[in-house]
Amino acid sequence: MSFRDILDSGKFVVTAEIGPPKGTNIKEMLHHAEMLKGKIDAVNVTDNQSAVMRICSLAVCKLMLEMGHEPILQMTCRDRNRIGLQSDLLGASVLGIKNVLCMTGDHPNAGDHKQAKAVYDVESVQLLGIVNSLNIGRDMSGNELKGSTDFFQGAVVTPEANPLEPQLMKFEKKVRAGARFFQTQAIYDIEKFKDFMKYARKFPVKILAGIVLLKSAGMANYMNNFVPGIRVPQVLIDELKSAGKEKALDAGINIAAKHIRQLREEKICDGVHIMAIGAEAMVPEIMKRAGLL
Amino acid sequence: MIITKKRDFQELMKNIENYNRFFLLGCSECAALCSTGGEKELDEMKVALEAEGKEVTGTFVAKTGCQVLGTKVELKPFKDALTETDCILVLSCGAGTQTAVELFEDKPVYPTNDTLFLGNMTRLQMFDERCSLCGKCILDKTGGICPITACPKGLLNGPCGGCKDGYCEVSPDIKCAWVRIYERMKRLDKLQEFCETIIEAKDWAAHARPMNLNVRKKEEVKK
Ligand code: SF4
Ligand code: SF4
Repeated sequence: MSFRDILDSGKFVVTAEIGPPKGTNIKEMLHHAEMLKGKIDAVNVTDNQSAVMRICSLAVCKLMLEMGHEPILQMTCRDRNRIGLQSDLLGASVLGIKNVLCMTGDHPNAGDHKQAKAVYDVESVQLLGIVNSLNIGRDMSGNELKGSTDFFQGAVVTPEANPLEPQLMKFEKKVRAGARFFQTQAIYDIEKFKDFMKYARKFPVKILAGIVLLKSAGMANYMNNFVPGIRVPQVLIDELKSAGKEKALDAGINIAAKHIRQLREEKICDGVHIMAIGAEAMVPEIMKRAGLL
Repeated sequence: MIITKKRDFQELMKNIENYNRFFLLGCSECAALCSTGGEKELDEMKVALEAEGKEVTGTFVAKTGCQVLGTKVELKPFKDALTETDCILVLSCGAGTQTAVELFEDKPVYPTNDTLFLGNMTRLQMFDERCSLCGKCILDKTGGICPITACPKGLLNGPCGGCKDGYCEVSPDIKCAWVRIYERMKRLDKLQEFCETIIEAKDWAAHARPMNLNVRKKEEVKK
């Protein structure tokens, strides 16, 4: 069953993230992907994440496809203009990639090529519109295509952003522009997330809660201070701290598993998107403890 | 106004090391307000060049350096000084420099300034970029605040996920343009329609360079 069918079926969906490496050695990445095989419903391949140059998402999506995974192509507006974006989307389509996650993308000044010229010719809302258009057989300029695409398009949302209202405005624009599913920024406060879900349920879209694995109290503090839209509650930081250095990762896995379990059992959202950021090997363990394997 | 900044003097000296006699041309508009090309700066440049053993054959602050014909007329009395010079240094923006290039086909012309942006002067000698001359203004749709310029990503439909506590992902010194726009729309009680409208991708063809505009011709055609 495809990712879109599974989401439609009402099953609690699990996706995870694979970050393409910087360089041509893909052994470790393939190993992680192998570990996830048959366990998750789709795998997101990041697009030059944090504006750090890596293997392109499109090539790695194709590798995932060959392995038997269902890939979600992440596509940012940072590096390509509307011609490049559409061209890559058509390419993805003929390679058999069905899912695309439309994002604006971190600014180059966050990454490892700070002198790069940022493109941002279009942005996430408009990119969703482009995907819609390709799906009905027209390019952005209205030209008829020789064969249309059949993408299932998604976007991202930050339920804990501050201020929240302008982000919700953008969320609604994304829905209007054709987003069918959303993956959220990391969620740590389930009660607060429930409020967001109460709002999001008014729209005909599926929501996958972002689960970022906490590896230490230090990481949690760092995210609170520097990563926008992420708020790790103090109780969780204390939990990681009291676990001690050795056991912090284990405690982080427990936290992630507990959250996934609650989200699923209470039917709070439609699934989760697990981002292990460097600890991809731990994803099966998280799923096991969450009762998903 | 056009915002300019003085170039490094040593860099300038390298540019002009093979020339000895200079004519200095300033501009009384933007460059004067930026302290890069008024009377005072021309005097300072003269002193600095002479300290390097160079000669200055004449100086003049044009009324509007980017006005080609006007500047040509203004420079008439300086014919001798201009004939004697090996090189013209222009203390204004890049447009002013190219006025001199157009007027003096046979003379080398060098800029003494870097030309930065179209800016608003918010206080004396403090300048903010608010418009990037995109060719098709969308201020009517964004509450009068320009996201093409004020948002480093030039987003048109709301903030990116990098907005943190109302500040920009790119620099904690910049307020997120989209938070500002949202707040202004709220204050003007225009939120609903604003939120429901998706602004289309920008028409960059309206910004195709080099641009030119001939208003007169149109009027003449009408006659
Ligand atoms: S929309 Fe274009 S013309 Fe209008 S203020 Fe912004 S950059 Fe300038
Ligand atoms: S934080 Fe706001 S101003 Fe900065 S890039 Fe994102 S949307 Fe633009």
